Amino acid sequence: MKQAVLYINQFFAGIGGEDKADHAPEIREGLVGPAMALNAALQGAEVTHTIICGDNFMGSREEEAVEQILGFLKDVEFDIFFAGPAFQAGRYGNACGVISKAVKAAYNVEAISSMHEENPGVEMFKKDLYIFPGGKSAAAMRKDTKKMAALGDKLLVGEKNLQAETEGFYPRGIRHQIWREDQKPAAKRAMDMLLKKLAGEDYQTELPIPKTDRVPIAAPIAEMPKANIAIVTTGGIVPVDNPDRIQSASATRWGRYDISAMPRLEGGAFKTIHAGFDPAAADADPNVIVPIDAMRKFEDEGKIGRLHEYFYSTVGTGTTEAEASRMAKEILVHLKEAEVNGIIMTST
Amino acid sequence: MRLEIGHFNVTDVVFGNETRYDNGTLTINKEEALAFVMEDEHITHADLVIAKPGDSIRIVPVKEAIEPRCRVNASHSLFPGITGETHPVGDGITHALKGCSVLAVGQTYGSFGDGLIDMSGEGAKYTQFGQKVNVCLVVDTDEEFERHEQQKKNRALRWGAHRLAEYLGNAVKELTPEDKEVFELPPVTKRGPETSALPSVVYVMQPQSQMEEMGYNDMVYGWDMNHVVPTFMHPNEILDGAMISGSFMPCSSKWSTYDFQNNLTIKELYAEHGKSINFLGVIMSNLNVSLEQKQRSAQFVAQIAKSLGADGAILAEEGYGNPDADFIACYVALEDAGVKTVGMTNECTGRDGASQPLVTLDEKANAIVSCGNVSQLIELPAMDQVIGNLNALAEHGLSGGWAADEVLGSSVREDGSIIMENNSMFCGDGVTGWSIKQMKEF
Repeated sequence: MKQAVLYINQFFAGIGGEDKADHAPEIREGLVGPAMALNAALQGAEVTHTIICGDNFMGSREEEAVEQILGFLKDVEFDIFFAGPAFQAGRYGNACGVISKAVKAAYNVEAISSMHEENPGVEMFKKDLYIFPGGKSAAAMRKDTKKMAALGDKLLVGEKNLQAETEGFYPRGIRHQIWREDQKPAAKRAMDMLLKKLAGEDYQTELPIPKTDRVPIAAPIAEMPKANIAIVTTGGIVPVDNPDRIQSASATRWGRYDISAMPRLEGGAFKTIHAGFDPAAADADPNVIVPIDAMRKFEDEGKIGRLHEYFYSTVGTGTTEAEASRMAKEILVHLKEAEVNGIIMTST
Repeated sequence: MRLEIGHFNVTDVVFGNETRYDNGTLTINKEEALAFVMEDEHITHADLVIAKPGDSIRIVPVKEAIEPRCRVNASHSLFPGITGETHPVGDGITHALKGCSVLAVGQTYGSFGDGLIDMSGEGAKYTQFGQKVNVCLVVDTDEEFERHEQQKKNRALRWGAHRLAEYLGNAVKELTPEDKEVFELPPVTKRGPETSALPSVVYVMQPQSQMEEMGYNDMVYGWDMNHVVPTFMHPNEILDGAMISGSFMPCSSKWSTYDFQNNLTIKELYAEHGKSINFLGVIMSNLNVSLEQKQRSAQFVAQIAKSLGADGAILAEEGYGNPDADFIACYVALEDAGVKTVGMTNECTGRDGASQPLVTLDEKANAIVSCGNVSQLIELPAMDQVIGNLNALAEHGLSGGWAADEVLGSSVREDGSIIMENNSMFCGDGVTGWSIKQMKEF
């Protein structure tokens, strides 16, 4: 019998909710929580171990968590790796993606998960592992687990070239040619599609074009000397202890830091945690990324009304558009509340 | 304009004393046919070899395919401007030997745009020419200036094949066809209220024309497509010899002359004409090098479509990579002009399938029929017989072959088996409409 391992978070392991989200990684022999449903659905393999990790632990101490879990698996014989289902839980989705990708690379096994379409983990990891569209909440547990198990069974018997459309997982951006069973030539397909498009009916393109989010340019600020200006950065400048535990890459978290009493950012008090460039210059003088010093000068000269009392920070490297847009919406709430008129965006 | 194409359904081709057609069998007087071909002083050596479906035959390097035809009750040539003086086509009677093609095959030398055809086994499914009776014209020429160039015009060989196609077609000039197709499309403004009330549709073709030097590109009535701005054509002209293929594009993307003569999308548009659409005709565009040229062509296409009152368009490109920019620019221009468009193309997603399918994308290109992946790796066993030169696949710069690869070795192995990219499957992606392949997510 082939063997499988499942990754779940602290909540589904029955350890606890948000208060236990810092739970350190552990491995248990046998079935914990969702592992029971998965084991029941799997025909060709037995779930021998369950790995449990708190979502915050994975989110903020990713490197450590991954290292520990890969270590646990060193002595475990397994043929396939499962994670979740993560439903609509964003941090759990991220954790399932991170660990599946790592396990796949380290142990050369296939990895399967399930997430609701709005889970940011889908966009972040659908190219790295098989992810099935799943329900919003644990009510869909049995249904979602079944889909994961069914694909697992196929992969375990060596089935190859499985299509996203027929199997049901999110398209991974891997496109190959197939011979249509109905042998319908391209000319007929084009005509059918055109007739539907002309009639305003639904049709399915054979080459879906990914949507790009274009944002209209805002109207100019009428009176700069009265404007309240904020700085938002994807350059990863944070207080040296990184209190919001923003990730160094593929960020899902952001923070805001009070600068109302500061004439400039001091090296030693602030640093960058961005993993995508040499941090030396930014660590020595964080103003090269978040130019509080220059903004204060503009304030003194009356070029701007005032500098908003917080700057907002996250990390741009590897961060998906979906995550970036979510974080922006969260940040916007604060900026609107403070009646900020304009934002200066800085990167690295 | 009314074009009648009389069909003679060829099931066998043999050599004999007289070039004639009888009950499905085309007999060729080889000596006479070759003497006709050799009238071109640039052809230094020529042979005819027959390849039938099911034969253990591999044909490479293939440069062109033509359906043998002749004109009935008319004296102008099959390909005006190419094999004779320019003359309008698309109106009248043409006889065609169906199910067979004349292939232009290099005796020794291949070039970038040449392709491969297998007549049996797994490889035969990669191109429709694997299922036809092929009369292979295998030729060497005195075109020394390009003998060792990767890009070749292959003029003598291609023109020889065009002439041979007419020579063979003449065998059925006086005979009564077994069946026929009729293509009749009145002038745009003279179609009656019922047809005119249907959604009006144009077919926009972007044949290959990206070589700045003359002699490599597709031609219209003998005129290089690089030197045209988009123009309006009657679909019968395309079906009846106004267009010939070029010698440039990676081969699976290529539209051979056979593909123009038998353009399946035009036939489909005809089939729906008067039923669900009003088929206005063809806007013949091209493919260009510079951005300004691409934009100019797109602008012309959109203007013609709009002026004609087109509600919809089918748009097809002969190529991938750089031509994708022309394809998307034209698609966007049509949509911006209010013409609902469906695109037909192949993709280049890489051997692992993970690359961006077209070099440029636009959300307005929201209806695309996708016919194949040029970079698909294909491994095929040896065949008993090779027509042409198998080593050309490895040694002469064919777009889908290579001399050496650290992992895969040479495209051509000592035992005659091959490994290649779909790029060099002869006209394999059937973007003119016959592809039964489709791209899918895995």
